[in-house]
Amino acid sequence: MVRQTISLFRYLLLGVVNRRLAILVFILLVLSSLVAGFVSELAIINSQNMGAALQADFLRYSLALVALLLVTSNVAEDYQSKQFERLLTMPISRWQYIMAQLLVILTIATLLSLPVAGMLSFATSFDIALYWAAALWLELVLVALIGLLGILSLEKIPQAVVFSIAIYLLAKFSAVIDQMLSESVKLSDGSASNRFVQWLFEGVLHVMPGTKAFAQNNVFFDSSLLSADLLPSQLLTVAIYAAFLVAVCLVDFYRKEFNL
Amino acid sequence: MACFLLILVMQIWAVQGSLSAGEFAYKPLAEPFTSSTYRVASMGSDRLLSYLLAIRLQLHDNQSGKHIRYEQLDYQKLTHWLNQITALNPHSEYPAMLASRVYSQTTDKQNMRLMIDFIQSNFTREPQLHWRRMTEATILAKHKLSDLSLALSLAEQLTTQTLDVVMPQWARDMQFILLGELNEFEAGIAIIVAMLESGSLENADERRFLRVKLLEFQQKLLESQQ
Repeated sequence: MVRQTISLFRYLLLGVVNRRLAILVFILLVLSSLVAGFVSELAIINSQNMGAALQADFLRYSLALVALLLVTSNVAEDYQSKQFERLLTMPISRWQYIMAQLLVILTIATLLSLPVAGMLSFATSFDIALYWAAALWLELVLVALIGLLGILSLEKIPQAVVFSIAIYLLAKFSAVIDQMLSESVKLSDGSASNRFVQWLFEGVLHVMPGTKAFAQNNVFFDSSLLSADLLPSQLLTVAIYAAFLVAVCLVDFYRKEFNL
Repeated sequence: MACFLLILVMQIWAVQGSLSAGEFAYKPLAEPFTSSTYRVASMGSDRLLSYLLAIRLQLHDNQSGKHIRYEQLDYQKLTHWLNQITALNPHSEYPAMLASRVYSQTTDKQNMRLMIDFIQSNFTREPQLHWRRMTEATILAKHKLSDLSLALSLAEQLTTQTLDVVMPQWARDMQFILLGELNEFEAGIAIIVAMLESGSLENADERRFLRVKLLEFQQKLLESQQ
């Protein structure tokens, strides 16, 4: 059973990892260096930290988008080429497909975050570069899993990408919800509608991973923020959300009907 | 061919028109958003955004490849920008550095005072981070504003900082040097004596410098009394 899952993973990975991906990552690394270098030239003080922080954020968002597109296009191809129907005629369970996709996501996240560690170690200290690469790995896993859920449910790349980006941004903007919540308490007249909105906001805050679940860019300016429990707390949050997303993917995938 | 030439002439005329309009069209500084808005928009990268906003502000005086005179800038809005950037990232030295090194280059004394006030408020909040800018503000007040009493008040704030605030001794010496220039030798002598007796000066050269200054002030005081 494990061997089947590994074989499926290797087969799926072949469709994702290719020369085009390597070229794309190389272009992004070069582009990020150029943008960071340009802004560093403009800065009068603290230019090195600013350049490293900008490069890190540039790579974070561009690689998150790359990971999202890779996962969604990979599954969408399976839908289009009726690959699921073919696979399910073989002695392979549906959960094995999800596990194989999970392994693909972990591999993609590793392949994308490793060059970032190497690149950033030139611009900042090695421990910060290492932290950023690890935190980015967690972030890419989370985003790609949201993408997997999106494509399994919606079956079309544009809808899945928009859904995943919306969830990602909502999590990133959880501070806005928090602010709205604190403001709504001040303005609240205690009416049922006010209480409902407040309850809704609180609910969203509980379901969404907060900004602390993602890589913390401020460490580039203050290395004392790089505490021993920073990465473990992010790992714990991502592990919980990853387990939840995989469970939802499984439920959704088992509910799907294929014309066998 | 005629049509092509006509379009070419129109294109040159349009580009020339936009370029000549650009010579006179100074785009004034827009009002900044509040720091909380920027914090939310930064998606967790608030310190990076504060630096990017500072650079955006720094580049405002270069428009269409031309440097705008600082007198053209609205310093009230500029101070508002600097305050919002500081509120976004209170640990950054960049806004105070812009105030002391860039925007203090104006010839308008009122605007220069605004920049000195901004540096002073930053120093009061976090002296360890902004002592260097405060010394620059003291020099600005003395040499550019020619306001010795303001310079003295700024220098006094530097001198009265506790020893927890680590800064070179010359920064603390500014007050008695200014007192000497104001011919207030008695007050200057009192400060030097207090410094020497505090036992906080470990550097022998610093102690020697203070003793030389003490003798100089005592001599000048005697001369003024005679």
